[in-house]
Amino acid sequence: MDVLDLARTQFAVTGSLHFLFVVLTLGLAPLVAIMHTKWARSGNPLHESMTRFWGQVYVINYALGIVTGLVMEFQFGLAWSGLSHYAGDVFGAPLAMETLVAFFLESTFLGLWIFGWGRLPKWAHLACIWLVTLTAYASAFYIMVANSFLQNPAGAVVSGGRMQLTDFGALLTNKALVFAFPHVVGAGLFTGGMVLVGASAYMLRRRTPDTEFFARSMRTGVVTAAIGVFVAMGFGYAQFAGIQAGKFGDDRNILAAVGLGFMIEIGQLLALVVLLVMLPMISSLPRRRWTHPILILMTPLPFVLSILGWMAREIGRQPWMIWERLSVADAMSPGLTSGMVTTSLIGFTAVLGLLAIVDYVLIARVIRRGPRALDLGATSPDDKPAPALSY
Amino acid sequence: MEVIWFAFFAVLLAGYFALEGFDLGVGLLLPVLGRTRDNRDRMVAAIAPYVLANEVWLVAVAGTLFGVYPLLEGEVLFGLYPLVVAMLLCWVLRDAGLWFRRRLDGSLWRGFWDGAIAFGSLGLSVGWGMALYAAATGFASSPVHPVGLMLGVVVTLLFAFHGWTFLGWRTPGVFGATRSGPMLLVSALVAALPAVGVLVGAMPYLLENTAPPATLNVLSLMVLPFAPIMLGAQVWVWRTFRPGKDAVRLPSFF
Repeated sequence: MDVLDLARTQFAVTGSLHFLFVVLTLGLAPLVAIMHTKWARSGNPLHESMTRFWGQVYVINYALGIVTGLVMEFQFGLAWSGLSHYAGDVFGAPLAMETLVAFFLESTFLGLWIFGWGRLPKWAHLACIWLVTLTAYASAFYIMVANSFLQNPAGAVVSGGRMQLTDFGALLTNKALVFAFPHVVGAGLFTGGMVLVGASAYMLRRRTPDTEFFARSMRTGVVTAAIGVFVAMGFGYAQFAGIQAGKFGDDRNILAAVGLGFMIEIGQLLALVVLLVMLPMISSLPRRRWTHPILILMTPLPFVLSILGWMAREIGRQPWMIWERLSVADAMSPGLTSGMVTTSLIGFTAVLGLLAIVDYVLIARVIRRGPRALDLGATSPDDKPAPALSY
Repeated sequence: MEVIWFAFFAVLLAGYFALEGFDLGVGLLLPVLGRTRDNRDRMVAAIAPYVLANEVWLVAVAGTLFGVYPLLEGEVLFGLYPLVVAMLLCWVLRDAGLWFRRRLDGSLWRGFWDGAIAFGSLGLSVGWGMALYAAATGFASSPVHPVGLMLGVVVTLLFAFHGWTFLGWRTPGVFGATRSGPMLLVSALVAALPAVGVLVGAMPYLLENTAPPATLNVLSLMVLPFAPIMLGAQVWVWRTFRPGKDAVRLPSFF
């Protein structure tokens, strides 16, 4: 591989790892916020258990979202300084907003939510998780604004060999953005819902004593997944109206077409199962044990689809960094050597890859132990939420 | 407008040193003051509610660098490629240590992640000294220079002192010191000094390379109205977790 392929591989590996955690964050954040709202309103211990249990899954997942995100942010300057040189005046604005307006607040409010348990007044504590959700979605929006500019450089002109921002509104109403952002939101909800379904199926299959807890979680998951897959599919097809000519018709980008094809095939099949089988069966699904192994096996699929979707979008953009303006070769940092990228690629892949595996093992362990002895919201060493069995 | 954004950038970078400085300092002191598992738990619990609100200042620095100084962003990060990669990996390890250390109970598990926190904090602190040295020379000199390494040691010692002061403020007497709020403020200012020094030196260069007015106007319109909310959220953190009878509550999530 030459240095350009190595640098692209580095971005693809870290970006894919990042999105695996982001997509679940986007799905779980609103669900945890809704569970917390129910708990704040009813004071029902079952709702407290659900908030703490799914909240713990959410924050452990979030940890890897942060650390992979750090690497993403700095990678622009490390390996792609040609991009900031040529289009930083345009591309930098949404990125700056993502970090300053969205992520800065998201991280601050998340710290308040995690460590404010039993310390903040009830409604202030609840406000924190809603603010985390809101800023997480704002974050996703600004990242999609930046990415859509690369797909379709609206709102800017080339002057003096560099791109200049002329119309910020055009950045926000970019045809590559308006359907892609809801598509990503739908994918997030679909993923979050399917994780609730898969984890609940696993626990019910194991004859957990917390049947009511996981039956409710499974139904919440089915409804969320149904909404998510519907939104993702609708806005997925809507995107074809605004796609650049030749994006998937070229031999050069065969992987993009393959990614797109598989995503559509698997996505449609899953949508049929979720909307026409799981949703009508929603009330009996927790009791029908024969379905549970199938539901468990379906859990990883939304993650696979997310990566296929990004493959279609990003490989489809090749060889352009900014569509028909700047090529990836020209966007690469001048002077970047194979040795430099190989070293950092090995370092990032090894460290982030191992941490990702550890993170998934920890999430699996939280799920297997069920809603007892949770760390999140524990206020004394032997603190356990009340058994949810009796509710 | 350039001056406002320079001030914004300077406050973010100096703020990162003043705030994340004590998180890294406590991480550095883990093997020194945290001889027992209980003590290490107390030290980490002391910084835990602040870490997420502190480390994000550097994320904001990088975002501002991209938005306001796009020409310098690539130059600075690419110019320090191996150092930035090493510092990122240290940051990742430190964070992973915090998030993972209490997820399992075995002493091997705990020891490994506590080690990751200390190692990551050390790497980041020394790295900052070296990066500041390289920045002060206009990236003409390699950060691996005796002066750069010396500055790395200085920053490490400043952060360790700042971390110790923070522990004396939040857990009075537990780690051999009792410190007042004003003393914590002084140690924060001292910890920020190396960054402030470089910022003052780099001011003309930064002003010269600011993004054009069209970009700055958009950023100002979209970001500056949120500055009071960002500040308010930070104040909320400090008010919620101020020292008191149960300031360091165990078990803490980190």
